[in-house]
Amino acid sequence: MIGGTLFQHYPPASALWDEMISGDDVRPEYLQTFDAMRQLLPEDLYQKDRRAAELFMSQGITFTVYSEDKGIERIFPFDMLPRIIRGSEWEVIERGIRQRLQALNMFLSDIYGEQLILKDSIIPAALISSCPQFTRQVHGIRPAHDIHVHIAGIDLIRDADGKFYVLEDNLRTPSGVSYMLENREVTKRLFPDLLSSNRVRMVGNYPLLLHQNLVSLATRQIANPVVVLMTPGVFNSAYYEHTFLARSMGIPLVEGRDLVVDNHKVYMKTTQGLRQVDVIYRRIDDEFLDPLGFRADSILGVPGLISAYRKGNVVLANAVGNGVADDKAVYAYVPDIIRYYLNQEPIIPNVPTFQLSDPDALKHVFDNIGSMVIKKTDQSGGYGMLMGNRATAEEVEAYQREVLADPRNFIAQPIIKLSTVPCFLDGRWQPRHVDLRPFALCGPDGINIVPGGLTRVALREGSLVVNSSQGGGSKDTWIIED
Amino acid sequence: MLSRIADALYWLDRYMERTDNILLILRTEYVLSLDEGLDRPHSWRPLLEHFTSASPFQVQERAYDTGRTLSFIVSDVSNQNSLRALLTRARENARGAQDQITKEVWEQVNQIYHTVHAEGFEEGLKDRDAIRLLDGMTEMTTLYRGVASNTMPRSLGWSFMNIGKHTERCMTTLDLTDRYLGEIEFDLSDSKDILYWRQLLLSLSGYELHLKTYRSAQHTRNVMDQVFFNKHFTRSLRYTLEKSGHYLRDITDAKPTPESEVLNRFFGRMHSRVRYGDIELTEQLSPDVFIRQMREDLIRFTNLLAQAFFSYA
Repeated sequence: MIGGTLFQHYPPASALWDEMISGDDVRPEYLQTFDAMRQLLPEDLYQKDRRAAELFMSQGITFTVYSEDKGIERIFPFDMLPRIIRGSEWEVIERGIRQRLQALNMFLSDIYGEQLILKDSIIPAALISSCPQFTRQVHGIRPAHDIHVHIAGIDLIRDADGKFYVLEDNLRTPSGVSYMLENREVTKRLFPDLLSSNRVRMVGNYPLLLHQNLVSLATRQIANPVVVLMTPGVFNSAYYEHTFLARSMGIPLVEGRDLVVDNHKVYMKTTQGLRQVDVIYRRIDDEFLDPLGFRADSILGVPGLISAYRKGNVVLANAVGNGVADDKAVYAYVPDIIRYYLNQEPIIPNVPTFQLSDPDALKHVFDNIGSMVIKKTDQSGGYGMLMGNRATAEEVEAYQREVLADPRNFIAQPIIKLSTVPCFLDGRWQPRHVDLRPFALCGPDGINIVPGGLTRVALREGSLVVNSSQGGGSKDTWIIED
Repeated sequence: MLSRIADALYWLDRYMERTDNILLILRTEYVLSLDEGLDRPHSWRPLLEHFTSASPFQVQERAYDTGRTLSFIVSDVSNQNSLRALLTRARENARGAQDQITKEVWEQVNQIYHTVHAEGFEEGLKDRDAIRLLDGMTEMTTLYRGVASNTMPRSLGWSFMNIGKHTERCMTTLDLTDRYLGEIEFDLSDSKDILYWRQLLLSLSGYELHLKTYRSAQHTRNVMDQVFFNKHFTRSLRYTLEKSGHYLRDITDAKPTPESEVLNRFFGRMHSRVRYGDIELTEQLSPDVFIRQMREDLIRFTNLLAQAFFSYA
């Protein structure tokens, strides 16, 4: 016991890294918060929990669950105790992400251009050519300022050794930034004193930075280029985030049907006629962007959009074809990519990853399957994977057959024991596993990383899956001075 | 402003206004039904026929059943004009235009939506205290108007919202008046008791103004003058069309086009009928013809508005 009835059994003895407790001591960055929580009664905590839920509900930060033909609105669970990271640790994270994005941008320019990295045999050409995200339609297109990744979400985890690792790069349409911002707003309402006394770094300027970046991408030399945010529509699960960002930046939120291409230029249909669009922050996947260039059955996109993009008359953020750089199989080569383009060692390491198309790796993984997680390279959100330590013999056997049928489509990683943080569940504080998704913005003036990010938490006991679609929740993330 | 957003804002306020109007009418009828004894049960037939999508069979079933009628009008989504269905559509439009309405307006629409979809909401209709539920809803829709008025920027979006609101209000006044005049076969010389007209006036929030303005015993003519031509009555045809005209100028002046010219001319002709009309002219024409022409013109106006500004699909 480290103090306070509600913390009586926190944390249970284990070899995991706990973000708040080290041995019998509270880590320095958590001292104030721990003291404040210890003084609260369960009723106070329940009340704050309810207050947070009400705030999310009234703002419409919800998703719809369909049951018996009725839509029931639910909020994404939020845990009130923030996840806290020291400024000195954050500085390393920041440098690591900046380095990674710089290298990945160079990789994308190369792979859709000269392909030197393939010619130099750093990455097998077959790996790229077999990658479903490699988009031949945009080969040779050089985006404005040679920036492919404008908005990135890099998923980090902390292992039992206390070190951060990159678990995944999200370079297409990363989501969750609105939760980062809204979680902070809710924390302000729940614990106003704690925020100021801890000198927590601000995240609220993210929309302004994003807007500045988007405006700076415009290729027309005019005073006020037209920037829009393109959404698939109200039924998209991230629609709240789209409206939130559009409103916070003061830009129009458009759907594909609001846009039209004429003479390789993109226009939006307004009450005062057509108006040319310069930059599209699109939150719609590549394959739905343009029925003429990609999926012909897409009604979400704009016919002719890719031709306007090719001509340089409109900027798409993120650029088209980024999926090749965040493919799970290519992920294993990111340390080599960093060495090749920057001649540097990666600041944040990757989780060791085995390509199952390699027979030796395949054998090693199958021999040690109990300590491995196997993932499909074309899936995300915690779907399509096998946790070796939890699967039954039948499940393992069935999955192995699937792997053998198409090894290129799978990677394996040792199961990482994600670090834990206290969550208020069933009337007491309990440890739950977390990851961290910081958001980075790349523009002509460099790379900005907002000090914070989205901490996702696996609310089911023992679970390592933090995705909201599979029982995950979120926490506010504080970066504080050491 | 995007045409789609303009369309969504226009419909957001139409649905909110319709909700408000139906609430007012329902409350008035409900209070009236409490006055009537068991020997002469209150008939909900006119309300069901005019303001719901009930089939003749459904009307027949519910005509004398207050509990079922309340539930049908308030929360049954098979009725396209139930308050729950209207508020769902209002919220869908608000959601689609979320970046163009203020956070406060969105939160207010959202709150009303969650209230009518909350578990146990219908329970409030089952006892004799339904009036509390109706009053609670009226308070929320009134709050919506206040929040919108205090927070929305006076730009094109606001103009589209107001055209939606006043068009819907004008349509309701026409429909309701049509129903009451129909009962006396559109005969303005029929000197119906003020008690008869009180119900119409209460349903339009115009009873107090009537008592303060009209003193003669020609109740039918007076009431028609109020609902058609009184420029101080916020639900009269004249007032709602003048307001619509004001906001229409805002959007057509922003960038005149051939379509908006056609729209302006048409609106001018429609408006002049109430701006320069009076009860004698209406009587000469026959009130039913007047109402029918006004309704047709209003529908034509909304079509022209859509052609000029909402053609995005």
